[in-house]
Amino acid sequence: MTIVNVLLGVSVAFFGFVLQTSIAGVNRKVIARLQKRQGPRWYQEFLDIFKLLSKRSVSHGWIFDFGVIMALGGIIATAMFMPLTSTFSPFGASDNFFIFVYLLAVGMLGMAMSASGSGNPWASIGVMRALTTMLAYEVPFLVVVLTIIKLSGSSSLTAIQLFQQTSGNNWFLIALPIGGIVGFLALMGMLGKKPFETYIAPGEIASGPMVEYGGKQLGMLFIMHEITVFIEVSLFVHLFLGGASNIFEFLLKYFLVYTFANLISNVNGRFKIDQVVKFYYKWPLIMAVFQAVIAIYFGWVI
Amino acid sequence: MTNSMSNIEFVNTLVNKHVKPLVTDIIDQFQVGYVVDQNEIHLLLSALKNEGWIQMSYLSAVDWPEENKFEVVYVIFNWDKPVYIQLRTKIDRTNPSMDSIIQIYPGAKYYERECHEFFGIAFPGNPDYEKQLILEQWDDIPPLRKDFDPQAYSDRKFPQRTYTEDYSVTNNEPSKAEKRKLRKQRAESLKGGKKQ
Amino acid sequence: MKSTKFSPATKLSKAEVDRKWWEIGDFFRRNSLWMLMYCTGCCAIELPPAMTSAYDMERLGMGPMATPRQADILLVSGYLSLKTLRRLIYTYEQMSEPRYVVALGSCPINGGIYHDSHAVINQLDQYIPVDVYVAGCMPNTESVMNGFVDLMGQIKNKKANGWKHYHEHFAWYKANQITSLGEVDVHDEFHE
Repeated sequence: MTIVNVLLGVSVAFFGFVLQTSIAGVNRKVIARLQKRQGPRWYQEFLDIFKLLSKRSVSHGWIFDFGVIMALGGIIATAMFMPLTSTFSPFGASDNFFIFVYLLAVGMLGMAMSASGSGNPWASIGVMRALTTMLAYEVPFLVVVLTIIKLSGSSSLTAIQLFQQTSGNNWFLIALPIGGIVGFLALMGMLGKKPFETYIAPGEIASGPMVEYGGKQLGMLFIMHEITVFIEVSLFVHLFLGGASNIFEFLLKYFLVYTFANLISNVNGRFKIDQVVKFYYKWPLIMAVFQAVIAIYFGWVI
Repeated sequence: MTNSMSNIEFVNTLVNKHVKPLVTDIIDQFQVGYVVDQNEIHLLLSALKNEGWIQMSYLSAVDWPEENKFEVVYVIFNWDKPVYIQLRTKIDRTNPSMDSIIQIYPGAKYYERECHEFFGIAFPGNPDYEKQLILEQWDDIPPLRKDFDPQAYSDRKFPQRTYTEDYSVTNNEPSKAEKRKLRKQRAESLKGGKKQ
Repeated sequence: MKSTKFSPATKLSKAEVDRKWWEIGDFFRRNSLWMLMYCTGCCAIELPPAMTSAYDMERLGMGPMATPRQADILLVSGYLSLKTLRRLIYTYEQMSEPRYVVALGSCPINGGIYHDSHAVINQLDQYIPVDVYVAGCMPNTESVMNGFVDLMGQIKNKKANGWKHYHEHFAWYKANQITSLGEVDVHDEFHE
C-alpha cells in the first residue's frame, strides 16, 4: 500500500468519472433519437456539472455541507479500489467484493445525513425511499453473488475475472443464466433507473433527497452519482460478463450494459415504493435461491 | 324523451306541494328554475334533498342595483332523475343576510364564504363565513358588486406600462394610413365606370 | 507593422482575470439552462411542444427541473394574480444565483386581456426583474424558442443582469411590491 497505489486509485476514480459522464451524455442522445428528436451534445453532462459548480449556493448549516463532502469522499474512496481489467488493479489483491458493498454505504449515508440536515420533509421521504429500495435489491443480489464466489473460489474481483476467462469456463451470465437475470434486475435497482426510480421521483416528491440542494452542493452530488454508477456497472461487468483482458473490451462491455439498462428504463413507468419491495422479494429472490441451490448442490452449471 | 319530461313534471308537482313559487321557468329538459320567497328556501331545500337532490352544485348571487336587491341562487342536482333545479330569492341589498344552509348541505360552507367575500352577504349560522377564501388582504368593497369599478382599482394599484411616441415626421408626405384612405376613396370614385 | 521584438505577456489586472473567469462560467451557464416551469397561466401550454420532438429544447441544453433551488430560469407563463405573485416572489428569492426570468405572453408586459381586472397585475417588471419577454397571446412555439436563444445571447454579452439589478435596487422593488400587494408574506389557512 504505497503512494503509487493511492495515485493509481485516484486516477482510476477520475477515469471512471470522465468515462461515465461521457457515456451518460451519449445515452441521452440515444434516447432522444429513440424519441425522434435531436438530443443534446455528447458532452452535455460535463456542462451541467460545471454550470452547477459555478453558481452561488445556499447552505443550511454545517451538517448539510459536511454530508455532501462525506458522500463525495466516500465514493471516491470506493472507486479507488475498482480494477479495470484483469491485469490492472490499483490496490493489488485488495479488490474484494465486500469492500465495495461496505464502502458504497458510506456514500449513501452521507447523502442521507445531509438531506435530513436540510429540514425539508420531501428530503426525508426521499431518503427513506432510497434506503428501502436498497434493502429490497440487496438480498437477491447477494444470494447470486455468493453463488459466484462459491463457484469461483475467491471473492477478489480479479480472481473472479480470471476464473471466467480461463478456457472451458463461460461467463457467469451464461453459466448461471437465472442468476444473471437477477443480477441485471438488481443493477437497475442500484442505478435508480425506471421502474425503480422511486427515490428521485421528480413529479411526486420534488426530486427526493436533492430538493434543497443548489449550486455547488448539487454539483458535488452529481459527481458522486456519476462515480457511483461507474462502480456499479463495473461490478456487473466484472462479476457477470467476465471482466476484460484489455481496456477496449472493458469499454465496450461497459457501454453495452449501460445502454441496455437505459433503453429498458426508457419505456417504463415508475413503481411505488411498496411495489418495489414486493417485486424484489418475490420472483428475483425465488430465482436467486433456486439458482444457488442448483449451482452449488447439483452442480448444473452451463 | 318522455322520461325526462315526466322528470320535470315530477319536480313541478313536488315543488308546488310545498310552496307556491312566484315564477316557474322551464329552461329545457334538464333545467328548471323557480323564484321563491326568502323564508321558504330552507323548507324547499330540505324537502328536495329528501327526494334525491343531494348535490349542491352552486350557490351564488346576482346583483340588481336598480331594484336594490341581491338575488341569491341555489343550484342543486339529482343523479337518479337528472334535473338541475335553480332556486332564486331576492333579498335586501342594504343589509343582506340569508340564513345558512349548512345543516342541509354541509358543503355549502365554502360557497357561502365565497359569496360573502364577493358580494357582502352575511350568512348567520355559518361559523366562519367571514374568513377569507379567495382574496387575500382585500381593502375595498366586495368586488362583484356592480358599483365596483375594476378598471379604476387596477389603475390605482397596479402601475401601467407607458408607451412613448418618440418619433417625428420630417417629410411632408401623408402617413401610410392616410395614403390608404386616399387610395380607397379613389377606388370608390372609379366604380360604375365613371372616369375622373 | 508589428514589432518583432519579444515582449512578455502583460500581467492582467484583477478585474480582467475576474472577467475571464466570468466568461468561462457564462459559457457553461448558457449551454445548460435548467428551467423551473411555474405554469401560472395559459401560456404554459406552449411548453410541451417546445420540450418534445417538435422543437426540441434539450438540444440547446435546456431541461425541466423540479425545485427552485436547482433551477436557473424562472419561467413565468401568463397572467399573474395577486396570490400567485406573492408565492412567486418567495420562489424567486429562493433560487440560487445567477438566475434569470423569462416572461411569456402579453400579460406580464402590460396586462394583456386582463388589464382592467382587480386581481391581476399589469407589469411584472416592477416586482421582479425580467430578462426576456416573449410577446404574443399566446406566442408561437418558435417565438418561445427564439426567446430562449435570445436569453442565451444575452448571457453571452453579459446583459442578463436581472439578478444584480434586484440586489442593487432592492428597496425600490420592495416598495412596489408592498404598494400593489399590501404584504408579501403569505397568510392563509395553510401558513398560519
